[in-house]
Amino acid sequence: MKTRTSLILIIGIFLIGSMSLTAQTEMSATEIMQKVSDRPDGDEMEGTLTMTLINSRGGERVREIRQYIKDFGTVEKKIMFFQKPADVKNTSFMNWSYDDETQNDDQWIYLPALKKVKRISSDSSGDYFMGSDFTYDDLGDRKVGDDTHTLLRTETLEGLECYVVESVTKDEDYMYSKTITWVVKDRWYGLKKEFYDEDEDFLKSLTLLNVEQINGFWIITGTEMKNDQKDHMTRMEFKGVKVDAGIKDSNFSERMMKRGL
Amino acid sequence: MSTIKRKTGILLLLLLFVTASLPAQGVQLSGYARSYTGILLNDANGFSILQNTFNLNIEDSRGNVAFKVNPYIYHYSNEDLTIGLREAYLDIFFDSMDLRLGKQQIIWGKADGVFITDVISPKDLSEFLLRDFEEIRMGITALKADYYIGNSALELVWAPAFTSTKLAEEASLWGRTPEFESPIPGVVPTLSYDYSQKAVPATLENSEAFVKFSGVSSFIDYEVMGGYIYDDDPTMHVTVDLTPDTNGVPQPQLTLTPQHHRLSLMGGSTSMDIMGYVVRTELAYYAGKNFQANQTYQMGPMSMTLPSALEEKDYLHYLVGLDFSIGSTKLSTQFIQEYVLDYDESIIQEEISNMSTFLINRMFMNDLLTLQLFAYYDITNEDALVRPTVSYDLADGFEILGGANIFMPGVNNDYLAYFGYYDDNDMLYLKLKYSF
Repeated sequence: MKTRTSLILIIGIFLIGSMSLTAQTEMSATEIMQKVSDRPDGDEMEGTLTMTLINSRGGERVREIRQYIKDFGTVEKKIMFFQKPADVKNTSFMNWSYDDETQNDDQWIYLPALKKVKRISSDSSGDYFMGSDFTYDDLGDRKVGDDTHTLLRTETLEGLECYVVESVTKDEDYMYSKTITWVVKDRWYGLKKEFYDEDEDFLKSLTLLNVEQINGFWIITGTEMKNDQKDHMTRMEFKGVKVDAGIKDSNFSERMMKRGL
Repeated sequence: MSTIKRKTGILLLLLLFVTASLPAQGVQLSGYARSYTGILLNDANGFSILQNTFNLNIEDSRGNVAFKVNPYIYHYSNEDLTIGLREAYLDIFFDSMDLRLGKQQIIWGKADGVFITDVISPKDLSEFLLRDFEEIRMGITALKADYYIGNSALELVWAPAFTSTKLAEEASLWGRTPEFESPIPGVVPTLSYDYSQKAVPATLENSEAFVKFSGVSSFIDYEVMGGYIYDDDPTMHVTVDLTPDTNGVPQPQLTLTPQHHRLSLMGGSTSMDIMGYVVRTELAYYAGKNFQANQTYQMGPMSMTLPSALEEKDYLHYLVGLDFSIGSTKLSTQFIQEYVLDYDESIIQEEISNMSTFLINRMFMNDLLTLQLFAYYDITNEDALVRPTVSYDLADGFEILGGANIFMPGVNNDYLAYFGYYDDNDMLYLKLKYSF
């Protein structure tokens, strides 16, 4: 099944391993990240994503999105319908992501004021999504081979034993010089992730808030991204999540972008 | 209180009453209230616009059927009210087909801010091109059927009654008055209009039909279209009376009779992502479009040339556009060309006319602040419209936007100059918009 990281689940959905501790310690950092990437997480997922943007004064802005994701084998398709705030209501966004690492994603946006579906450049992975502290790349499907991984240590975080893996980008122009991920042993999901900017200064951290088992899969349903440089924070909640509940193939189309929910 | 104002008041009360009761029935309401103030930068510093707008979308769906009604109200400082329905339609959805019947905006093509194959919904140019695009596009009564085959679609549109482009009134800030020069010193041609041929009767044989086949794929998005239409822009039939005065000097009197003519067109558009650059193309071929042309009149030894003739020629209108990003800054540019085939030197429009557009957009402060610059540049005449804006979200759905419309003069700034004609209409404006 295709490697998949959904919009909100990106960092934190990890394979629950059954290997012994001895075997785990023999794993390389790359193997750990590959297992995370290959994690089975169902072929379909839908739910309502709520992002709460919180500024340094505690002021909040809320974005709400209904999203559907389906794996078609060599391509994963995602369609999102913006519900809030009111000025973006009925805007929709569709992304096709390919297994072929050489093929860029295809992306379209439907703007109800223009009544037109526009193809947009997928070369915007460094942009922040809807004003949040998550970039498109944070929410997307980063390939394991894009980074060089090093197992720094094991340590206990919030009472859970974790692998601490440093991932250094191979692309000099990438927006993060490195990330550090705390992977929970035995459970294999990310508890925390730190991001460092191009100057190798600490930028922001992602923290797991909630995880649920849905239809046999561990699904992260709450995360928080705190940007220290901007003193800004985004809390993400994923509600009404259904896995493998049956989504029509035809839902991932220009027709549905225009028609809406 | 006049009868009209009384009726308007009753209508508004009815609208408010009906609207207030709809949410209880599960009907969705959305829309916006907007205050829009513009001031001219010329010597008089008059207000170009003082407008308050209420725009409401009323929508509901049950199973395979849905409806939408979009009433709007514009209120002006002189207490004038404009009330209308931008859209009012019913949808029926089948497994592989959708039907939409009623007043609707239908937008085709891949161009931004330029109308090439986008010829179904006529334009409201009462404020030139300055309205938001949602407001420039007028709804038309039509039956639209879409049949879907995978990621492709065949769309048929039948518009029983023709609706023309809405031009600005001549006396308004955006009105254009034709100017005709006389070769005789001291003699200015007089103009009059005859609107008797302007309307196209709503009959079956006068209806318009459009067809489009479109598709979306990883490699390319495409549209192929055709239409049997009326030209949205009226052809100006000119009759000339050269009766001389008592001194025997011809006194040209021109009568302009606007009339819409039939046109056939076909075209298409594409959009592709090439290495992070989105390349867009669009082309329309018009068969038999009328162009204004010069005609020479001989009166004894004296001759004069007036734009009173028409030449019917085939015509191409096409575009190439490029969208890309530099960091977090979005950029877009388009090159547009109009080409009159089998050109005759008497035609007033150039054989080849070139235009371009530019867009730069960047967001700051977690998308609270947006800076944008959009510009049209007429390469042929060297005139331009430059539109910088800055907007700030005071709260979710509450935006304050300030901007300017700068018209830059070109080589010629007569009534044929698209932007330079409005050189005196530079303005600053402020919009407050509350969306719900």
